[in-house]
Amino acid sequence: MENDYGVPTAPIVTTRFADYVQRDGRSHGMNLRWTFPPYPVGWVPRETLRGYIEGNDPVSGALLMDELISALTQPLTDAELHPKAWQRPTWPRLLEPDTEENLHRLFLENGWTDGLPILLPTEERVAEMLTGTGHAPQEYVGMMSVTTHEERLQYTVEKLAVIAVMAGARPEHFPVILALGASGRPSMPSSTTSFASMMVVNGPIRNEIGMNGGLGALSPINYANSVIGRAWTLMSINMGDVRPGATFTASTGTTINYNNMCCAENEELSVWEPFHVRKGFKPNESVVSLFRGWTVLGFNTGPLTRMVEVMKNIGGPFGGSFTFVIDPLVAKSLKNDEGYADPAKLSEWLVDKLNFRFKRPEAVNFVVVGGEMNPMWVTTDFSYFQSVSIDPWIPKAGIKKDARPLRMPAAAVCKDGSCGIDH
Amino acid sequence: MKKNGTKITVLDPRGQPSGIFGRRLNVDSPMHAIHDPTYQPRDTAEALGKLKMAPRLDKLDGKTVYLVNTGFAGGKEFIEELDGWFKRNKPAVKTVVVNKKTSMFTDDPELWVEIKKNADGVVFGVGG
Repeated sequence: MENDYGVPTAPIVTTRFADYVQRDGRSHGMNLRWTFPPYPVGWVPRETLRGYIEGNDPVSGALLMDELISALTQPLTDAELHPKAWQRPTWPRLLEPDTEENLHRLFLENGWTDGLPILLPTEERVAEMLTGTGHAPQEYVGMMSVTTHEERLQYTVEKLAVIAVMAGARPEHFPVILALGASGRPSMPSSTTSFASMMVVNGPIRNEIGMNGGLGALSPINYANSVIGRAWTLMSINMGDVRPGATFTASTGTTINYNNMCCAENEELSVWEPFHVRKGFKPNESVVSLFRGWTVLGFNTGPLTRMVEVMKNIGGPFGGSFTFVIDPLVAKSLKNDEGYADPAKLSEWLVDKLNFRFKRPEAVNFVVVGGEMNPMWVTTDFSYFQSVSIDPWIPKAGIKKDARPLRMPAAAVCKDGSCGIDH
Repeated sequence: MKKNGTKITVLDPRGQPSGIFGRRLNVDSPMHAIHDPTYQPRDTAEALGKLKMAPRLDKLDGKTVYLVNTGFAGGKEFIEELDGWFKRNKPAVKTVVVNKKTSMFTDDPELWVEIKKNADGVVFGVGG
């Protein structure tokens, strides 16, 4: 309104966001004349709101209405007439040399980690990580911000190698991490509502790097799932510019942010086309698919009618998006007993049955994950957003594996009843 | 890894400033697009630095001020209370309460034109 329409404007946000909007104004070169009532204004009595309006702005100490009227009537100052956008400095590639102990402290105290121990990104380790792709270290990959309006931070292949090292990954995992970076999508976008993300890998790379889409795929029992999921979060922290309370405003937060439900789809046991194929990719392409919502709404068993009952009862607060993480046994039942050979038809049926306000079958998705220990399905309020091809990031010579790849114990899945008898 | 207090060199993990900022959504953007790098419109620091504030009013008496609820929780009630304050304390100011029809993240050119045509000043709230 100020610039495009020439109308003097008095914007109001609560004190909780005073720093945010003032910083936003500084970096954008226009410091609007804000007024800050106390927080919150949602779900409080009318008398409380009246008290805010008749009281003082806690930030400035001035009467709130005096401030608001001044915002519209006080002549513009010199600084307002001739604003200067603040530019953030770039930082050197290398940190000041220090002891290992001090550097661990530096990373932790600067908020560059998720709070868990990291591997320090020495030049040797980063160089080794870079052998996991054929792309040049200084090649631009993308930019990211966990906020909506603040400055994006940009990053190169080398910068993502730093992240991969910190997460404890090996070069074989690096192509997936680069594909995550190429999405430009942070795993934990800033919202007071506390976003969570999920990532599911399809295609040949799943097995080549030992990812788990079977038994316990969402549990911390698989090296590749753990470090790749963690790398997305460390990437979001350092490329997305997470600063708690300033750029990151999740009120309760969510533990899903630690690993982003990183898993593979169990293509081998699924009776449906792999998820990435349903999204237009070839079966032999390696792809990572990204989902975002808030939470896991529960797990259930039962026939399709039970799925409808659950959806009716737990519609998310922001509309009808669901991603079902279903055991292969459930997919088999949905196909063989309920007649859904194509999950897209199932989505259409469910949406029609529920008569959603947002009638979008594409907002109801299914991924097949699990070890056939129980025909159960996990309901999430996640929306599917994007699938990114991993193949462009794989070296021409193929995935760079260690001579003896690091693997955690695989699940002992008994096929003929003869295994596990000596336990 | 070197031990016994030996200093080592490591790389800085932070991304570098790009000079690229997010911007309000187009009027037909889906609401979730505000967090979607595919659809989020962008602006440069250089372009944003050229924005100018509007001249201020000499007084509010006799003027029309739009009070716009942008759609966050409690915004409607707050703006209505604000309107009540003007009616009780500044009856010479004509206020017009508007509830923004599009989401809080989205552009609304029709409303901006209406405000430009009818209003001398505007209050937006309440963010957060």
